[in-house]
Amino acid sequence: MAIDHKILASRKSGELADYARKSRIRLYSICGMVIAGVFLAVLALTVGSVRIPLGTVWSVLVAHLPFAGSAAGDVSATTEMILLGIRLPRILMAGIVGAALGVAGATYQGLFRNPLADPYLIGVAQGAALGAVTGFIIPWTILGIYFIPLFSFVGAVGAVAIVYLIARVGKTLPMTTLILAGVAVGSFLISITSYLTLIAGDKTHGILTWMMGRFSLSNWDQLKMVTPYILAGIGAILLYARPLNVMQLDEEQAQQLGINVEQTKLVLLIAATLITAAAVCFVGTIGFVGIIVPHAVRLVWGPDHRSLLPLSAISGAILLILADTASRTLMAPGEIPVGVITAFLGAPFFLFLLRRRKRAVF
Amino acid sequence: MRLHKIWLFLVITLISILVLTACSSNTTKPASSNQAVSSPSPTPTASTVGTFTDDIGRTVEIKHYPQRIISLAPSNTEIAFALGLGDRIVGVTTYCNYPEEAKTREKIGGYSDVDMEKIVALQPDLVLASDIHKKEVVPALEKLGIPVLIIRPGSIEQIFKDLQTVGQVTGQTAQATSLVTSLQKRVDAVTAKTAGLAADRKPRVFYVTWHDPIYTAGGDTIIGDLIKRAGGVNLADDLSGYATMTLETVIERNPQVIIVMSSMGDQNTSFNYIKTEPRLQATEALKNDRVYIIDSDIFGRTTPRIVDGLEQLLGMVHPELK
Repeated sequence: MAIDHKILASRKSGELADYARKSRIRLYSICGMVIAGVFLAVLALTVGSVRIPLGTVWSVLVAHLPFAGSAAGDVSATTEMILLGIRLPRILMAGIVGAALGVAGATYQGLFRNPLADPYLIGVAQGAALGAVTGFIIPWTILGIYFIPLFSFVGAVGAVAIVYLIARVGKTLPMTTLILAGVAVGSFLISITSYLTLIAGDKTHGILTWMMGRFSLSNWDQLKMVTPYILAGIGAILLYARPLNVMQLDEEQAQQLGINVEQTKLVLLIAATLITAAAVCFVGTIGFVGIIVPHAVRLVWGPDHRSLLPLSAISGAILLILADTASRTLMAPGEIPVGVITAFLGAPFFLFLLRRRKRAVF
Repeated sequence: MRLHKIWLFLVITLISILVLTACSSNTTKPASSNQAVSSPSPTPTASTVGTFTDDIGRTVEIKHYPQRIISLAPSNTEIAFALGLGDRIVGVTTYCNYPEEAKTREKIGGYSDVDMEKIVALQPDLVLASDIHKKEVVPALEKLGIPVLIIRPGSIEQIFKDLQTVGQVTGQTAQATSLVTSLQKRVDAVTAKTAGLAADRKPRVFYVTWHDPIYTAGGDTIIGDLIKRAGGVNLADDLSGYATMTLETVIERNPQVIIVMSSMGDQNTSFNYIKTEPRLQATEALKNDRVYIIDSDIFGRTTPRIVDGLEQLLGMVHPELK
């Protein structure tokens, strides 16, 4: 008996040590990836149609830090405009959109307990696309260049709201019904979008580019509009990392373990939908990031949502910053839609990870 | 019970076969009467007009001067009307809006979505297609024995050559020659004014077809050619075809004149964007208020009106020479 107690106690302390070690690793990984992300973003500032030396980038950045107010010396106005007016907002937009798609993908995969889930599974992309196409072909315009993003945001949120209302059974929300309703509503919306695209005449080109996703016109105003939504949404999702872990067992078991399952599902669904809608409304429906980033993170760091969610955010940001840098430099002075790059470069990288680990991903 | 179901199934199958055969025999009718119209009664003036080569190198044999012409592209419609073939045009696309009279012709669908049944029903003896039709529509028309010319000029010279070809095919050779001569004179008048300009008097011209992302016309396009003739330097001269250009490149290259193509449906979104984008305000074109909008129907189509476009362009690039 006494021996049994001893074993139990030592096992318990071992588990505690293991737990402490794991949370330490988590913290180090997150910090490391954030530093890597910032470093890459600064490097990305140097490349483009004109190469700007790292020293110049540094002096311009330091000169514009809120507390140091000194001028950047002998840097031309054009260079400063390219750095601060074009590249910086573009890189930050790529980062914030990548973070949103990464987290939303991880959330949906956890919520549906389905490795094929991505942020667009239940109609966000299809609704956003229909909204955007409608904005493209309506012959009048208000709000100037914010007309299409507004339509696409409303379309994205509206589509998910419809799917939710259809799938709800009494006070519960069966996940399978939600997926099926999402797929059906999505197909319905795609049929309308495809037809409108076909008859859009000289707008077809713009519509296709929107659907592939691009950061070509990103600016500070857009960034200011989407960042609050995305940061708030990611914050809300991070608070639910632990319930999401428990829900991986089974909804019924999670309920018995004291998780308010229906409330958790609703909050996560709303938050993931909002950040996805905010992410796609300006830059278009960039594919691949939302489905692959969480899987890659799981392969490297494991399935715990407390590390999966924040690391998916940072990895998504890094992936899209890299992809956007490729999109504006590979074909310079032109650019390739970023959605093409994410899949073209991202898929082989993911397959490499998959082959190396050779273990079940999900 | 089961026997009953089998009977029901058989009856339904039989009825659907009957209905289907009835339908298909209906649709073959216009095709066969079309052959009856075209083959036994050739135009008495010429037993065969000749064999022609179109813009993608296909050879087309024309047996008699076509009397029922269908155009599958707005530019083809304009070319045909310019040659005085308006009376012989029986079908156009929904996008054919010039000249005004073209709108009154039967519509055979859009540009990429052609209604084959409608074409066959109109019994054409010549179809003027574009290169977008070469993979599917043109082979289908050839199978039905309808002569097709693919017209896709890539330069002013080629527009003139196509005008001559369509003129010869339709027996409008004299009209074609006099039209080309007068157009050539107007082109020469413009180039005579800009030929002797020193390099520093040629402004950097940026041509915008769409703003999101920014699409422009490269040096090898017809637009690139027009800019050169109008005495400007194309900002995207090193690009090929219609291509994107990043905003930072545009700012770096600092255009002196910006020309924006109008969008369909009078929205002019691209023009409004260029005029209001804060990051472009530092370019010389915006500082000196030299941003112009041009009609996409004139600059986006390869027709005789491209010469109007060249004259307009001269007025924008070199107002002092106009």
